[in-house]
Amino acid sequence: MKKMLLAGISAAFVATSFSAATAQTELSRNQIINSLQGAQQKVDVSADELQKAAFDNIARYPGANSPQNLPLADKLASLRQFNIEITFDFDSARIRPESYEAVGLIADALHTPYLQGQTFYIVGHTDAKGAREYNLELSIRRAKAIREALVTTFQVTGETLFAVGLGEEQLRDPANPDAAVNRRVQLINVGYR
Amino acid sequence: MRRLIFAFTTGLLLLAAPAAFAQTVGFAEAIKILSASCGKDIDKYCKSATLANNGIGQCLDQNQSKVSQKCNADRVVVRSLIEERLAAQAAAPKICNNDARRLCKGVKAGAGHVLRCLLKAQRSVSDKCNTAIDLAGYR
Repeated sequence: MKKMLLAGISAAFVATSFSAATAQTELSRNQIINSLQGAQQKVDVSADELQKAAFDNIARYPGANSPQNLPLADKLASLRQFNIEITFDFDSARIRPESYEAVGLIADALHTPYLQGQTFYIVGHTDAKGAREYNLELSIRRAKAIREALVTTFQVTGETLFAVGLGEEQLRDPANPDAAVNRRVQLINVGYR
Repeated sequence: MRRLIFAFTTGLLLLAAPAAFAQTVGFAEAIKILSASCGKDIDKYCKSATLANNGIGQCLDQNQSKVSQKCNADRVVVRSLIEERLAAQAAAPKICNNDARRLCKGVKAGAGHVLRCLLKAQRSVSDKCNTAIDLAGYR
């Protein structure tokens, strides 16, 4: 059920089973670090702009599903990033106990000197079931819930951590809009600010 | 001696470290104990509590007369594990101050630059500072 997905710059998307990865917790912390760290080109897309683009997309292309991905989000595709599945209560932003460890791993990774000082977007995505506006709002609340847990309970620096929700506007698998693979949290390193 | 031990994978260390060694664990390692020992109690008594602001830990405290024995024992453990790691992270830059001045001259302060310098300079760094870095989970 829990799937941890790694996304590299090379577009070599590797999926590993989360339960297998957590057999060696330290290793999966390092997987997050390795996916996120490293020099990269600068992409100037603020978290606010990205958030606004999702709302604009619904306004511009109303209907059950978005006809295309967000150009602004596509711009971030070249950045160092990491996809992780975090589960929530149904229709809620309450993180399930099964996913506490995943949040803890993100905290462990972001605390290390390898990632300190860099700015990260926590981007929440849903699948395409249900209304787009609803999914957008839910993903925003969920991304914020993750950020809050990181910043308070695990004391990750909040100034460089931004929560964005994109609902179903940026599907990972547009050919299968309702597929579980679309439900994910994307951590993106947008570099030193 | 300690250096030797840290040379092994840190995962093994947790199991192998004798009680005499002060040791901290990562946040993931700590919080997953809470899921395992208190998951059912969390769903039963803490439906409206969240992971933010130690909300789950506080909820379990408030419901300690109702939660399972195992959960009551482990929620205290989890809290102290998290506190110990946070304390170690706060302490590391201070403990390493002299090493930083000695080995990381001209390195920009902040944004983890000095700590990254100290990680690279591990062989020249004092045992005290290396241990502090290990305890902070920075390696």
